[in-house]
Amino acid sequence: MEKDGILQGTLDMLVLRALQLEPMHGWGITERIQQWSENVLQVGQGTLYPALYRLERQGFVRSAWNVTENNRRARYYSLTREGRKRLTGDLAQWQRVSRAINLVLGATVD
Amino acid sequence: MESMKEIWRRIRSLGRRDAMERRLDEEIRFHIDQQTEKNIRAGMSPQDARRRAAIAFGGTESARERVRAEVRPALLEDFARDLRYGARVLRRAPGFATIAIVTLALGIGAATAVFSVVDGVLLQPLPYPDSDRIVRLYQVGSTGSRGNVSEPNFEDWKSGTRSFKAMAEVAAFVRVPVSTGGEQTMTPGATVSREFFEVMEARPVVGRGFLESERRVGAAPVAIVSHGFWQDRLGGGRLGDLAVQIDGALHQVVGVMPAEFDYPLGTDFWVPREQSPPQRSRTAHNFQVVARLADGVDLRTARTELGALSRALKAAYGDETWMFDAAAVPLREQLTASARPTLLLLLGAAALLLVIACLNVSNLQLARASTRQRELAVRLAIGAGRWRVIRQLLAEALVLSMAAGTAGVLAAALGVQVLLALQPGNVPRIEGVGVDLRALAFALVAAGANAAVLALVTALRSTNRDLREALSDGQRTVAGARGERARQAFVVGQVALTTVLLAGGSLLARSFIRLLAVDPGFRTEGVLILDLTWPYGGDTATRARRANLQQQLIERLGALPGVEDAGLIDEFPIGPGYFSDGQFIEMTRADEIQSFEDVKRLGEEAKSRAGYASYRIASAGYFSSLGIPLLRGRLFEESDGPGAPHVAVISESLARAKWPDRDPIGRFVQFGNMDGDLRGFRIVGVVGDVREESTEAPPEPIFYGHYRQRYVSRFSLVARTLSPGVVATAARQAVRELDAQAPLEIRTVDEALDSTLAGRRFSLTLIGVFSGAALVLAALGIYGLISYLVAERTREFGIRLALGAEATDVLRLVVGRGTILAAIGMVIGIIAALALTRLLEGMLFGISPTDPIAFGGVLLLTLITVIVASYVPARRAMRIAPATALRGE
Repeated sequence: MEKDGILQGTLDMLVLRALQLEPMHGWGITERIQQWSENVLQVGQGTLYPALYRLERQGFVRSAWNVTENNRRARYYSLTREGRKRLTGDLAQWQRVSRAINLVLGATVD
Repeated sequence: MESMKEIWRRIRSLGRRDAMERRLDEEIRFHIDQQTEKNIRAGMSPQDARRRAAIAFGGTESARERVRAEVRPALLEDFARDLRYGARVLRRAPGFATIAIVTLALGIGAATAVFSVVDGVLLQPLPYPDSDRIVRLYQVGSTGSRGNVSEPNFEDWKSGTRSFKAMAEVAAFVRVPVSTGGEQTMTPGATVSREFFEVMEARPVVGRGFLESERRVGAAPVAIVSHGFWQDRLGGGRLGDLAVQIDGALHQVVGVMPAEFDYPLGTDFWVPREQSPPQRSRTAHNFQVVARLADGVDLRTARTELGALSRALKAAYGDETWMFDAAAVPLREQLTASARPTLLLLLGAAALLLVIACLNVSNLQLARASTRQRELAVRLAIGAGRWRVIRQLLAEALVLSMAAGTAGVLAAALGVQVLLALQPGNVPRIEGVGVDLRALAFALVAAGANAAVLALVTALRSTNRDLREALSDGQRTVAGARGERARQAFVVGQVALTTVLLAGGSLLARSFIRLLAVDPGFRTEGVLILDLTWPYGGDTATRARRANLQQQLIERLGALPGVEDAGLIDEFPIGPGYFSDGQFIEMTRADEIQSFEDVKRLGEEAKSRAGYASYRIASAGYFSSLGIPLLRGRLFEESDGPGAPHVAVISESLARAKWPDRDPIGRFVQFGNMDGDLRGFRIVGVVGDVREESTEAPPEPIFYGHYRQRYVSRFSLVARTLSPGVVATAARQAVRELDAQAPLEIRTVDEALDSTLAGRRFSLTLIGVFSGAALVLAALGIYGLISYLVAERTREFGIRLALGAEATDVLRLVVGRGTILAAIGMVIGIIAALALTRLLEGMLFGISPTDPIAFGGVLLLTLITVIVASYVPARRAMRIAPATALRGE
């Protein structure tokens, strides 16, 4: 189901990023990643929920039942302090690596 | 800290497991609902929208599996569930489970039982403080042989070395008549010198040790007794004025040793050496010497010092001593030396059996893995993680090993009992042997690891395969060529190891049969032996009276109804006893030798006059009763009484060795060294050879004196009868009428011979059982593999048969396959056996370790087994109906 073969570490980062602004339920996270990536990244549910449970177990997110705007019960996930710290670290790391890769790819060949 | 928290969290998560599943279900439902709504908003029909949403989600079960895998902390619970599942799977395959469990239990049980005995007998330290510091010291003779020590040499060792903290001499009486009031019984005892209890670092638990005042000639006789003797024979009461009659003299009991004190092995009483006069001869080798190493001195240093001193003594005393060197051996090693080869042999055999059992189970597991491929593929397809499947298989392996382990524990406990019941009675320290927990743990781990590694390999291989391939192709692709090759290798290995075991068993069996066929030189059927012991020594009148009593005993016995002939010998040839032997001198006339100086002088002057022989005392009836033929001259006669010139009869081999081309009859011989009587013998007859001690050794040259002329206090009466069982009671009564007290034991020659074979029978029985079990396992392995091959190739055989192949061609093909595998195994096995059976050399009799008949028999037996084991499944292949086979699947 991983259409674009999102690596596990990357998926964790995307999920954390999606939760950075507000708590969300699982479906919402999928939708947000899809939106933000302009439909390029589709997170398969077969990997999303395992990732959420894993992040929760690791203490980066917590979850609680809440009510949606349509009055349905859903499990909302939010970042913990650990999670914010991890996201910051991951982003910095990602930017360094992607810049490095871009430099390599963009280097002039003579 | 961290790990404690983790464990606590895991334990709590057990209870939260159901909550987690419920939460996940709800989340998934919510997710799909949301997607459905979105799809409807996008204009799909509600039905379509839901279907699409479900598809977009992917397998819900797959998601669940992966979430569960993420919530891994509940390992304990998973583990329990895996085990339950494993047990269920095994219950569904009862045939496989039963065979695997029984096979492993057999291997575990045998290996553990044998190791337990090896550990208890060979490895456990002796029950004395710092027992590894106790050594046994030996004189070493000119040929390098170790032997007992003479008293002057012992005294020189004691005063001339510094490596030992204490050193003592011990003379073990094999058995002496002991009475605690009432009938006398033969009891093993020992005289021990001053430092004996210091060497052993043991003290009496009741009473006291010997006083210095009790350690001199003429002191009142005292004895220390064993705990068992105190309990059983003395009633375990206060020592006070307890006394025992030992060899005719009353001894006061002053002490009782602890129950675990047992040296020399089996000894029931100890008396002080210093109560009898010192021995002056450096060639009277009457003592065992034990010593305790001094603090900080290692064995090697002690050996060096003792050896140097002994060689110096040899240089100083020349021919006066026969000691050329000395040897020191740790006491435990010395005590267990006789049992060591047999036990190590059995240990090797049991270990082989365990390996064979493991191979067999491996084989079964691989076979099963191939049929379960589809099940595993399905589990993988519905989203079970690879690790999940692997763990499942491991859990199954664990369940199997645990079941086998439990059965193995029972088998080991039973095995130890069987070993104790079968053991020939001469294995030291065997009484305390119990199942050894370390050995059990090792065997369990070995079997478990074997199962686990196999499960892992199977799992990795199965989960690596392309799912579609496995699913679509059913059982066919399964386990593939690699699995088959592995199974073939297992079968080859099994056959090879089985061949090794069988070769050992077959060599031992051939030796045993050969030994049974040995002619001991005397009649064995229907001969009764009555062992009697009278107090040693006595004055001339007493001795004459007792010799008369011996004559009466022989006559009384011979007159009993059913007794054809009766006689007397000082030591019956077969069985344990003192078979005294020594040097004699041939004389030119009966009275050439007047003193021991003459004996010594003549022996040194003319080596050609000296000879060596066993020294026996017998009556004429002994030879006729046992059917030992008179070859030349005459036997003892009525006229050879106490007052007549002393006469002797010699064995054929002595005649041949000493007088190869002369007539021994009429020659004079001096054997004064043996009983201190300097009257010479005139040889009057030559009789046939007999084997002494056991039938394994060739006949020794024997010299027989007449019991009327040379009194012996310890003797056996023999009676030839048609029904020894019936006569035994009457014989006992007859003896008791003449002597109510003396210890009397009655046995038959058959029993005596049998007891010399007990050790061999023990190892042969066990090796036989082990190699039989190995053969059955190998047959099972081959049967399983061939059955599998036949099932695999049903289609092919169908085609062959349809194309006109004869059923026998198919049969030949299948059986040929099994035979080729077995042949490879046998070749490897034979090569290994040829290398290993050399270790057996000391246990063989009359055959070489590479005996072609023994090896041929093994090959034949294995071959037949293999052919039968592959024939059964091959018949199934023959009967394949081509049409069914082709339609198949």
